[in-house]
Amino acid sequence: MKELIKKLVEASGPSGFEGTVRNLIRDEISSFADELRVDSLGNLIVRKGTRAEGGKRIMMAGHMDEIGVMVTHIDENGYVRFTNIGGVNPLTCVGGRVRFLDGTVGVIMVELKDFAEFFNIKKFTLQDMYIDVGATSREDCPVKVGYVAAFDRPFEDLGNRLVSKAMDDRIATAVLAQALKDLKSTPNELYFVFTTQEEVGLRGATTSAYGIDPDIGIAVDVTPVLDTPSGKFNDVKLGKGPALKVMDRSLVVDPRILDWTVRTAEKQGIPYQYEVISAGGTDAGGINLTRAGVPSTCISVPTRYVHSPSEMVDYKDVLNAVKLVVALISQPVMLD
Amino acid sequence: MAQLKEFLKQIISLPGLSGYEAPVREIVSRKWEPLVDEMRVSRLGSLEALKRGSGTGLKHTVLLAGHMDAIGLMVTQVTGRFLHVTSVGGVDPRVLPGQPVEVHGLKELRGVVVQPPDNLLADQKPGAPVGLDELFVDVGLEAEELAQLVHPGNIVSFGQMPLELGEELLAGHTMDDRTSVAAITYCLEILQKRIHSWDVWAVATVQEEVGIKGAFTSGFGLNPDIAIAIDVTHAKGPGTSEKSIADLGKGVVISQGPNIHPGLYKHIMKLVEELEFAHQMEVDPAHSGTDAIALQVTRGGRASMVLSIPLRYMHTPVEVVSMKDIRRTGRLLAEFITGLDEKSLDELSQEMSY
Repeated sequence: MKELIKKLVEASGPSGFEGTVRNLIRDEISSFADELRVDSLGNLIVRKGTRAEGGKRIMMAGHMDEIGVMVTHIDENGYVRFTNIGGVNPLTCVGGRVRFLDGTVGVIMVELKDFAEFFNIKKFTLQDMYIDVGATSREDCPVKVGYVAAFDRPFEDLGNRLVSKAMDDRIATAVLAQALKDLKSTPNELYFVFTTQEEVGLRGATTSAYGIDPDIGIAVDVTPVLDTPSGKFNDVKLGKGPALKVMDRSLVVDPRILDWTVRTAEKQGIPYQYEVISAGGTDAGGINLTRAGVPSTCISVPTRYVHSPSEMVDYKDVLNAVKLVVALISQPVMLD
Repeated sequence: MAQLKEFLKQIISLPGLSGYEAPVREIVSRKWEPLVDEMRVSRLGSLEALKRGSGTGLKHTVLLAGHMDAIGLMVTQVTGRFLHVTSVGGVDPRVLPGQPVEVHGLKELRGVVVQPPDNLLADQKPGAPVGLDELFVDVGLEAEELAQLVHPGNIVSFGQMPLELGEELLAGHTMDDRTSVAAITYCLEILQKRIHSWDVWAVATVQEEVGIKGAFTSGFGLNPDIAIAIDVTHAKGPGTSEKSIADLGKGVVISQGPNIHPGLYKHIMKLVEELEFAHQMEVDPAHSGTDAIALQVTRGGRASMVLSIPLRYMHTPVEVVSMKDIRRTGRLLAEFITGLDEKSLDELSQEMSY
C-alpha cells in the first residue's frame, strides 16, 4: 500500500483544484466500482453493492484536497505575493518550497531588512511573505494572479512511519481505495466519496451527501497528535491504532455509532483509541447536517505535524484503519 | 402551575449533553405524549411532536423549537487518579472549581472539579482564575480502577441540584434551554382547551450548544411555514448593562433583527399590545445565536422569530430564571397559535413593508 500512498501524497491538489488527484484515484479503483461519477463540485463518487435485507446506505468520505497557496499579486521585480488556501501556518512556510499546478517551483521567504533579522524574527504573517520563482520582473514571471500551488516535499518512508505533505487527507483516500479493493461482500449500498474542498469548509462532503442522501456517514481523516515533547493535548498516540472520534468542533459523534465502531474493532481485534479534540472538523461534520440529518462518525489516522509539509503517520495505523473500515461496511449496521 | 416547576426541576436534574440527549428526551416525550397527536425522533435525536390543528385541507404548520441539550464537559485524558476535560459547548471555566459533577463512564461516578493551589501554578497571580487545561475532575478512585471505568470521550455533566430562590425563582444548571422546553410544554397544555387551525410541531432540539444542529435538520425534515425559536437571554445582573438587557421576571423578550421576520414581529407586537402582555425588547443585529438562525435558512427558508426568557448567569451551573416568565412565554405562544388562520401566512408576507 505504500506505493499507492506515495503516488497520492505526491500529487498536487489544493482545494478546488483536485483534478490530478481525482484522475489518479479513478484509475486506481474504477475496476472495483459498480458505478462511478463525478458531481458538479468535483467529488468522485463510487458506488459499490446494493442494499440487502438489513442493509443501509452508507457514505464514506476522504477528502482529495490539500492546503496550499494562491497568488494575489506580483510586484514589478517578479516577487509573488500569496494568500492561503485552507489553514496554512506561516511558521512552516519559511524556507519551504511550493510547486504550482503548471510545474513552476518557488521558494517562500519572509521580508527581511537585514540578515540578522532572519535569526530573530518572531512574529510574521503570510502578508509579510513572498514566493520567489526566479523571475526578475512582473513581465517574465511565469505565474499569474490566481495561480495555485501546493507545498513541495517528497514522500519519505521511515519504515514504520511515513512522512509527507498532504497526508491530510490523501492517507484517507488511500485507506478508502484500499478498503474498496479489499471488500469481499456487503449487505449495504456503499458510496466511497473522494471529496473536494474540505480544507475550506467541508464543501464537497456537504453537497455529495445531499445528493447521495445516506443513512450513515463515515469520514476518514487525520487527527492531530501531540505525543511529542511537551505535548499535553489528548491521549492519542501514533501507532496505537486508528482513532475513533468522539467529538471535535464540527461534530459530536452519535453515541450509538461510536458503540458500533468500538464493538466492531473489538470483535476484529483491531487496536483503537478514543479521540476528543477541541479544535478542527472533518467531512463528517458536513455530512451530519445534510438534509434532515445523517448520524456520522470519523475514523481518524493519528498524524503528527498536521498542516505542516511534513505530516507523519504510522503505517500500522493506516493498515488497521483499512481493516476497520472494511469490517464496518461488510456487515449490517447494528445500532441500538 | 406547581406542576410546571416540578417538571422543570426534573428535567434540569437530568444529564443530556449535546449529542447525548437521550435521558432528557425520554422524560420530555413522556410528558408530551398525552398532549400531542404524534411523536417521532429525528435522525439526530430531536423530539418532534405534532399537535394537529382543526383546519381542513392543506394546513399550515408552525414549528416551536426549544433546545434540550446541555453544556458540560468531556474527558480528554485519564491521568492517574484525575481526569482532564474539555468543554462541550461554551463553558465558563471560572465557575467550575468546586462544582459537583457526574462522570458517565462504564459506571456513573460522582466527582468534583478541582484546581491546583495557585502558589503551585507557574506564573499564576494569587486569586486569578485558571483555565480549563489546569482543572481536573476527581472522582476519588485509584488510578487503576479509574482507568478501567473511564476513557477519553466519556461525558461529564453538572451535578448541581435545582435550588428554589423564593416563590418564583429557580436556580440550576441547563436552564438554558430546558426552561424553553418547559414553556413549550405549558403552551401545549393550554392548547388542549383551545381550538387552533394550524398544525403545531413542538420540537425539543438537539445540539444547539455545539452549532445549532438539531434545528437545521428538523427544520429541513418538517419544513414548517413559520418557525419560532424559544431560548433564554441575558437578564440584568452583576456587570451587565442597565440599558440594553432584559429584567428577570418582567416578561417575555421579543427580538428584532435580520433573523426575525418583520411581518412576524409586527404580528406578535400587535398581539402583546392587544393583550397588555408583559414583554421586553431585544435587538439581535446579526445572528440571534438561537435555533432561529437555522430555522430561517434551512430548505427554502421561512419566516422565523425568537422569543426569549430572561436568565441570569448564563452558562454557569447556577442559571436563574423566573417561573413567571416561563408561564408568560407558554401563554403568549398559545395565544399566537390560536390566532393563526388560513389568511395569516399571506398577511405575514404582505406585512414586509420595509
